[in-house]
Amino acid sequence: MTELKPGQGGRSRIPLRISHRLWGYYWERLQKNRLSLVGLGFIGFLVLTGIFGPLLVQDPQKTDFNILNLPPLGFSIQESIYDIKTNEITTTMIEGRPEHPLGTDSKGRDMLAMLVSGARISLLVGLLATGIAIFLGTFLGVLSAFLGGWVDNALMRFTDIMMTFPFFLLLVLIVFIFGPSLAIIVLVIGLTGWTGAARLIRSEALSLRTRDFITASKALGASDTRVIFNHLIPNVSSLIIVMASLSIPGVIMAEASLSFIGLGDPMSTSWGTILNTGQHSLDSAWWVAVEPGIMLFLTVLSFNFFGDGLRDAFDPKASV
Amino acid sequence: MINKVPLLQIKNLKKYYRVTAGLIPRPLGEIKAVDGVSLDIIEGEVLGLVGESGCGKSTLGKAILRLEEPTGGQISFQGTDVLSLNKRDLRTLRGKIQIVFQDPDSSLDPRMPVGDSIGEALIVHGVSGAGERGRRVARLMEKVGLEAGFAERYPHEFSGGQRQRIGIARALAMDPRLIIADEPVSALDVSVQAQVLNLMMDIKDADGLSYMFVSHDLAVVKYIADRVAVMYMGQIVELADKEELFRDPLHPYTEALLSAVAGLRRGGGSRILLSGDMPSPLKPPAGCRFHTRCHRVMEICPVAEPAFREVVPGHYAACHLYP
Repeated sequence: MTELKPGQGGRSRIPLRISHRLWGYYWERLQKNRLSLVGLGFIGFLVLTGIFGPLLVQDPQKTDFNILNLPPLGFSIQESIYDIKTNEITTTMIEGRPEHPLGTDSKGRDMLAMLVSGARISLLVGLLATGIAIFLGTFLGVLSAFLGGWVDNALMRFTDIMMTFPFFLLLVLIVFIFGPSLAIIVLVIGLTGWTGAARLIRSEALSLRTRDFITASKALGASDTRVIFNHLIPNVSSLIIVMASLSIPGVIMAEASLSFIGLGDPMSTSWGTILNTGQHSLDSAWWVAVEPGIMLFLTVLSFNFFGDGLRDAFDPKASV
Repeated sequence: MINKVPLLQIKNLKKYYRVTAGLIPRPLGEIKAVDGVSLDIIEGEVLGLVGESGCGKSTLGKAILRLEEPTGGQISFQGTDVLSLNKRDLRTLRGKIQIVFQDPDSSLDPRMPVGDSIGEALIVHGVSGAGERGRRVARLMEKVGLEAGFAERYPHEFSGGQRQRIGIARALAMDPRLIIADEPVSALDVSVQAQVLNLMMDIKDADGLSYMFVSHDLAVVKYIADRVAVMYMGQIVELADKEELFRDPLHPYTEALLSAVAGLRRGGGSRILLSGDMPSPLKPPAGCRFHTRCHRVMEICPVAEPAFREVVPGHYAACHLYP
């Protein structure tokens, strides 16, 4: 009769859904931070690209040996061909073509198509792995803070161990054992990346737990689950969102690094794999490595700007 | 005037906190926040509980609701043994005894519309139907002098006094018989204090409630209380009717407290300055706990603990001055 039951008013509050007024206020504060808006704009562009882009461009894996190493539109490179018969070196200028605005790589694959496909993969990996990590971190952090005692002790020591573990090495090892696939990469990053979130959420929940409104709720006879879902979680939700937006770029970089060293999913074109092909032809086709590099740089920067803006907007003590 | 039936009976209540230090917990000792308190609250009365910060008065309030699980003693509310209640019966009890907190900033969930905070008790106690709950929340808000239309607003949109009214409305949701008011006006401006106190008195008269009014402010207690208990280092040192206590305090600690308030100083009496701070609760002084600061200390004081006895009918004190 007193437990959480749907439809009986025991709704848990995910604030985005309900607290329109509060979120309008946060949006106003966020808007005052120009950089974070720019970041948000770029993220929005990236999300649209990731969803719809692959429908508009050609197959990123399609090779065409007539157009190897085509430079981006507006650029040109000199190509020297040594003719054995005449013993002469002929030099021709290769210009970028409008049908391949960002050029092609050493197999004649369209760079634009590959970058668009990479955007989808980077975002997918970033969101899924962060989702898993933040969910685990929130769950364990709240549990730890709320139960306290030996449970808290055990969970936090476990967190310490997880934190000291060389995560990248683990990733390399697991990918080596199970074979490279996106699902494995997402799972490993998600299942190891919750430690920081757990600690932050725990400390926040610990300080919330002693606040009078939590005591008041208990004094009314509310159950622990009710206190957790209706009071504790909504009050750490802004922290959760900030942490998520700040941890996505790290995850994207981790996936790119794995792909770069050749442990990425060979079936998918991610920015890391393009970088990997590009590094071998830096002298003849610089754009193959530079273009995904720029995308990574802009993406990571955007998430960081946006996350910083969110943090300030949520922080009542910060003046924006 | 007052029906002399005890609503709440506390006998020898104790709340000790074990203090530990280090990664592998090493016991440092025990803090006796509440150490053998016996009190009655009579139906319809306001019992003032005064004492300086850290004397255990808030802990006592929370222990009654088992928000802090007591270490020992007995609590009986309307004849029910509070300490032996199971979870379900405890929930029922918590509708009947409610608490109002000191800090209006932290006593309301900043992410919850105030109407939902007030209505939470109704949900917890199974009042179903959003319509019915909405009507009752509106009635409660009007009862504490707030517009019912404010139910959708968030705590930060209210002033401190308004938030305290919301806290009171929340406490009233399940028609409690006893409200533990833990310094409900100490965080408010003086002008607002009076409004909130008057509101509490009006509600008490209308609903026949009892209050345990915890405060360090003697002027406030003098205004609102029927009887006053004085607490020092986890123990009650004096208990009497308000008039009696303010006119003729028995315990030297009460004397000192009263003399510190300009308006309450007895005719011609000079101010009694207490020397030093309250001793560490980890190592309470032997004998009478007040003897280290007492201006009337005698030879027996550090040796024997004084008994809490009825010195004059209805006037209790724990002091060797009254053997």
